[in-house]
Amino acid sequence: MSEPGLDPSTAFPVPVPDPDTQSYWDGCNRGELLVQRCGSCDTWLWQPRPICSKCQTPEPVWTRVSGEGFVASWTVLRPPSLPAFAAKLPYVVLLVELDEGVRLLGYLVDDAGRLLTTDGKAEGIRIGVRVALRFHDQAGTILPSWTVSS
Amino acid sequence: MSRPPRAQKHRQAALVGIYALPFSKKIGMTERHGGALAILGALDDAGLRVADVDGMYRYVWEGTTEMEMARILGVENLRMFGEVDYGGGAGCPAVGHAALAIENGLADVVLVWRSRNRSSGGRPWASQLQATGQDQFERPYGLVRPVDGMALHTRYWMHKYGWAPEVLGRVAMTQREHARRNPAAMMQKPMSMDDYLSARMIADPLRLFDCCLETDGALALVLTSAERAADLDVTPTYVTGFALGSGPQVYGMTFYHGKELGVTPARYVAPELWRNTGLRPQDMDVVQFYDAFSPQIPISFEEYGFCGEGEAPAYMAEGKNPPYNTSGGGLSEAYVHGFNLLLEGVRQVRGTSTSQVENVRHSLVTSGNVVPTGAIVFSKVPW
Repeated sequence: MSEPGLDPSTAFPVPVPDPDTQSYWDGCNRGELLVQRCGSCDTWLWQPRPICSKCQTPEPVWTRVSGEGFVASWTVLRPPSLPAFAAKLPYVVLLVELDEGVRLLGYLVDDAGRLLTTDGKAEGIRIGVRVALRFHDQAGTILPSWTVSS
Repeated sequence: MSRPPRAQKHRQAALVGIYALPFSKKIGMTERHGGALAILGALDDAGLRVADVDGMYRYVWEGTTEMEMARILGVENLRMFGEVDYGGGAGCPAVGHAALAIENGLADVVLVWRSRNRSSGGRPWASQLQATGQDQFERPYGLVRPVDGMALHTRYWMHKYGWAPEVLGRVAMTQREHARRNPAAMMQKPMSMDDYLSARMIADPLRLFDCCLETDGALALVLTSAERAADLDVTPTYVTGFALGSGPQVYGMTFYHGKELGVTPARYVAPELWRNTGLRPQDMDVVQFYDAFSPQIPISFEEYGFCGEGEAPAYMAEGKNPPYNTSGGGLSEAYVHGFNLLLEGVRQVRGTSTSQVENVRHSLVTSGNVVPTGAIVFSKVPW
């Protein structure tokens, strides 16, 4: 069932970019969060797509955003999970609504981008809390993540 | 809705056969084997034979294709066949497609089935490490289980509507009581609110008993025309109507990238269902709401219009709701992507449920509300 080269007893799931998503992951690797915006109607679009879903203009423009936003929802992951995550549980995953209006998922991390083992209470996580973008390096995969805004 | 009611000029479809193999943690046979046995059981229940079968529909997630099943059974020719995707959203749409084939005279005896042997394959989420498509933005964060997406929705509903944990606890307890009257149900132990609240968190705010079971099972349904049903030695369960819906910007379980957080595809199914059936929520004597997770019960009462938005906890606490998930459902009978709910919906019309509601005229069954989905109304009397 598992793929060659990835051992499910140790490996994290990895994103497999395709031509419509490659720019996003390239941005992450440079420490930039990129979201598509329609060049015609200015609509912010998420997840990545080849045309604007509002006005159907092709090739929305990859646009750097600050990553500032608020917690739209959140959960605490607990066992069972994949073995790679076991030592990190419990940790918080946030659904962040960016100021541009799109919602992305990410870890709750500290100011340095380290994943926090927490149930979110100490950090005061609740819906509406403002958060700021950080990047978390997960075995070489650079993942947008968020920390509570100071 | 500005669209006119659906014209009932076609012949009507009726469910005439149901069958389920015993639910278990380890079924001990392949999915095609279990599926074939369930189908033979359902045909026998209907008084029909393999030679009568000319249509089949299945879940995309059913590992056995309808062609392989037809081959195994020895079906001479399938005049209609197909499959519906999206996991737990597929049940009512698959039965709806079967009914559509019968209503339009394209097939006369149509099978739908669901067979699972998950004990032989492990948890389906545990080995998918290459995250493609929408998964590439979710799975790298460890959001690999269905409960993770549901937890994000549930947190939002609890926040927006002020649900206390006990709202979900009462759902789990109610369904457990139904299961305890159903000898076929996997869960037979009583559950108190303390049991519910003290169980471990799986993905906050969802606790262990908010989650469906992990079950092996094999179940099947047989549909035919109302005219042909009249010649069989069964109590027909008539298909009064059904509807499908996706809503905008839908992604599997994780529709939270859409415009309005917390609004599920079921919100789009409901008005179509009531238009198609010419019925109202108040006409439903019993409901089987898709319940991979407990929060789907209160939100479904709202989405299908049994009460207003945000009113479900009070509506349910006051006992104004029709009985729900009377076999124990996915939480306490068995989890087979909602197919047991379809069988229970039929039993309620036949009068053979172990938690039988009196004088059932209309019985509602829904499929997974957080995925592209559908709903169907079964009735005691024809159009």
